[in-house]
Amino acid sequence: MMRSTLKLMLIALTLCAASLVAVAKVGVGAPDFSATASNGKTVRLADYRGKYVVLEWHNNGCPYVGKHYNSGNMQRLQKQWTSEGVVWFTILSSAPGKQGYATASQENDYLAKMQAAPTAALLDPSGDIGHLYDAKTSPQMVVINPQGVVIYDGAIDDKPTTDLNDVPSATNYVSRALEQAMAGKPVETAATRPYGCSVKYSDATH
Amino acid sequence: MRGSNRYISFCALALLLRATTTHAASTPITHGTLELIAENQWIEPGHEVYLGLHFQLENGWHIYWVNPGDSGEPPRVDWQLPSGLTVGATEWPTPHRLESPSIVDFGYESVVTLIMPMHVDRSLAAGQPIRVGAAMKLLVCSHEMCIPGKAQLSLALPVKSQPPPLDPRTADLFVAARKSLPLATPKSWKLSVADTKDSFVITAKVGHQTRHAVFFPLAESQIANAAPQNFVPLPGGFRLTLRKSDQLLKPIQRLQGVLAFSADRAYLIDLPVGKSGAASNSSDIGSAQFGSVQLQ
Repeated sequence: MMRSTLKLMLIALTLCAASLVAVAKVGVGAPDFSATASNGKTVRLADYRGKYVVLEWHNNGCPYVGKHYNSGNMQRLQKQWTSEGVVWFTILSSAPGKQGYATASQENDYLAKMQAAPTAALLDPSGDIGHLYDAKTSPQMVVINPQGVVIYDGAIDDKPTTDLNDVPSATNYVSRALEQAMAGKPVETAATRPYGCSVKYSDATH
Repeated sequence: MRGSNRYISFCALALLLRATTTHAASTPITHGTLELIAENQWIEPGHEVYLGLHFQLENGWHIYWVNPGDSGEPPRVDWQLPSGLTVGATEWPTPHRLESPSIVDFGYESVVTLIMPMHVDRSLAAGQPIRVGAAMKLLVCSHEMCIPGKAQLSLALPVKSQPPPLDPRTADLFVAARKSLPLATPKSWKLSVADTKDSFVITAKVGHQTRHAVFFPLAESQIANAAPQNFVPLPGGFRLTLRKSDQLLKPIQRLQGVLAFSADRAYLIDLPVGKSGAASNSSDIGSAQFGSVQLQ
């Protein structure tokens, strides 16, 4: 009882802290951030105004992420959309010591091995960007339009499983959102439950 | 000599464990075991029997409720049945909140039995035993990691044309499973849900003082799972305020789920969602309809 009360208080505190900063929501401006990429460069979201931006929450030990990388689905999406001018950031919000945490060189090795092709992989071991976007799972996906507004937030597709066989028949929400927005249409499915593994944030409250 | 003594005591221990273990046919799964069980010793044509999926998980590992919450997924079963048998909806025990930094899942730790009715057609011939198969897809998680897995379970059951007695090896598990199921709300209760801008507010008149209540939503993406649920005691009842999920972009017609007062006292609710201020009357539908949530 004592413990659960404490936990509730901690959650309440976390929420209060989080509500002081603007948390991303569909239909509102995407909060700006800057981060160090695994290639050593500093990336600032605001510098990409005028382009579509995809944020992909990543954890290389998560079987739901594994489904999309081992099937080649994620790499295919990265190549397809970056070739059409979309900026794609893979974000690692795992805390040091937790599943999915990677140093810059470890992440570069992973990107090379998987033949992944994001614009950049952003290192977020503090979880600041993850909390800014209230990222709950990997692979949670966010799509931001050229005006800097979040137009999609949620799951990568409509098959919340770890089964590689589900990839071909799934409806990909990220591609749908980009296609519809680029055609000047409203995004039909703008928010879904982001399936996957919980983001392995630091245990310390931020 | 020492070695063989050790071997003998190992065997004795193994035999003892085997003798004291209620079920010999549990299948190892990631960080635990899983067994397909039946409540009765045989099945009788034209009658229903209950099957169970009995999970025993190592400390620190969990599986998920039908709505897993912020992450994870529930176990899925593909039944392999001879003709004349059909398995009904899974009856899900009241889940627990599984809390990690920033997210809350709904599920079960350590030991849980999911039960489901199996209808046996009248035309089924007595005499030959039948075999029930269950191809399971599982996700077993700790707070650190999730491990997907599969399990193929099987259970042979005799078919006799006389009422089957309870199976003494499993009866206790079914008793415990039923105790952990949420109940239909008493007719005397008055429950309503109001849709305010950011929240759903459940107002409950239950006829007695209540000190604690937690809501588990049946549908995903209706409430913010990790948000604190604001409980306010009222004379003869309470009010519970649930923050809406950020993923909820359209109004909802009904709020369905489990209202839990304690680990072993919980109720199924299914309420029309009224506009703020306009209270609507109680209308529980009981377990029949709620129970139609299928393991897929």
